[in-house]
Amino acid sequence: MSGAVDLCLRSLRRLLWRNGRSYCTDHSSRVKIFDRNLKRKQRDRASWLLRPGDSLVDAVAENLLDRLEDCKKTFPSALCMGGSLEAIRRLLNGRGGIEKLTMMDTSVDMVKLCEQAEQNSPNKNVETSCIVADEEYLPVKESSLDLVISCLGLHWTNDLPGAMIQSKLSLKPDGLFLGAILGGETLRELRIACTVAQMEREGGISPRLSPLAQVRDAGNLLTRAGFTLPGVDVDEYTVRYNSALELIEHLRTMGETNALLQRNTSLKRDTALATAAIYESMFGTEDGTIPATFQVIFMTGWREHPSQQRAKKRGSATVSFKDIHKEFGGGT
Amino acid sequence: MVRRSGVLLKKVAAGISSRLAEILVCPLTKQPLRMCDKTNSLISDSIGVSYPIVDGIPRLVPSDGIILHSDQDLNSSDPPQTNSS
Repeated sequence: MSGAVDLCLRSLRRLLWRNGRSYCTDHSSRVKIFDRNLKRKQRDRASWLLRPGDSLVDAVAENLLDRLEDCKKTFPSALCMGGSLEAIRRLLNGRGGIEKLTMMDTSVDMVKLCEQAEQNSPNKNVETSCIVADEEYLPVKESSLDLVISCLGLHWTNDLPGAMIQSKLSLKPDGLFLGAILGGETLRELRIACTVAQMEREGGISPRLSPLAQVRDAGNLLTRAGFTLPGVDVDEYTVRYNSALELIEHLRTMGETNALLQRNTSLKRDTALATAAIYESMFGTEDGTIPATFQVIFMTGWREHPSQQRAKKRGSATVSFKDIHKEFGGGT
Repeated sequence: MVRRSGVLLKKVAAGISSRLAEILVCPLTKQPLRMCDKTNSLISDSIGVSYPIVDGIPRLVPSDGIILHSDQDLNSSDPPQTNSS
């Protein structure tokens, strides 16, 4: 059934281009890195394994939502896309003055979990609604939202600039986009251990970790999407596990396991054991635990609005540098 | 007990909340959607695709959409109906 729909999607795209207007961002030029269908199934599984109160996810969500308190503006209508939906909903605590919250995820089970959580402990003063949708094909009308939040979800999109452009279009003027994605330093210990083990055991390497954005790219992403007043900052979280297996289990509960199209679908037992052993020998600490780094890049951007500050026009200066120099640095 | 049956009734009665009807559009064409009560789905007329609503949650992932053929229902010209919920 999905094969037939893919065929129809391709002919649809041809139809849309023939009309001379493109309704969605141009997907024909991008390379497919991630298997989105597999990611849906992994997120279904993550919703079954979810433990509310996961310290890493909560820390990131808390950090993201804190930024709402830095703004004087209120955001009556908000959309929360993918990633750690449940944590955002639980930790919102009325920040940002949100009145209407829409929760969105590609996985049906995750959305149902959020709906259930909402019924069990409803957020007072917040009207919550849920939809199942893809971040790369955002089904939201233009200029209809005050706030778009995505906490640890966008690093699994094939077309990240396109997803951000669609988010920007869905924002009203002076609307805010808050995003948190995993950065390039994430799980570098695991990446090193996997590579060494595979080189030893299999004589070659296959991609085990997804390509992740670098901090310097985050600013470009925001400006390319057309956001004004972009802000990027980075936080590194080190989580300690008793064994490499616990790390993998944690990744499964977060829905962050491998979904690369080029992945090797089999993992030899020898390679897995070698990876765990190398991880412990190279990075193990004295108390027997192993650390794992999670680098989170926080991005904020606003939709343009006349009230935002901007550079003055050329030639409109009233004070010259010479005057400033005379005033302050004349003697030296 | 009464609350649970109230929730069940809300889900059986087709439709989406007025909040969602305000903001949802077709994910592929960004054109407005039309509610179809008979099949309990949202229809995008410009490309002839219907997106199902299951348990009150609309599924707007493009691969979940069902292509409508001309002999299926493209009638029912009601404007998008909303449930006051």
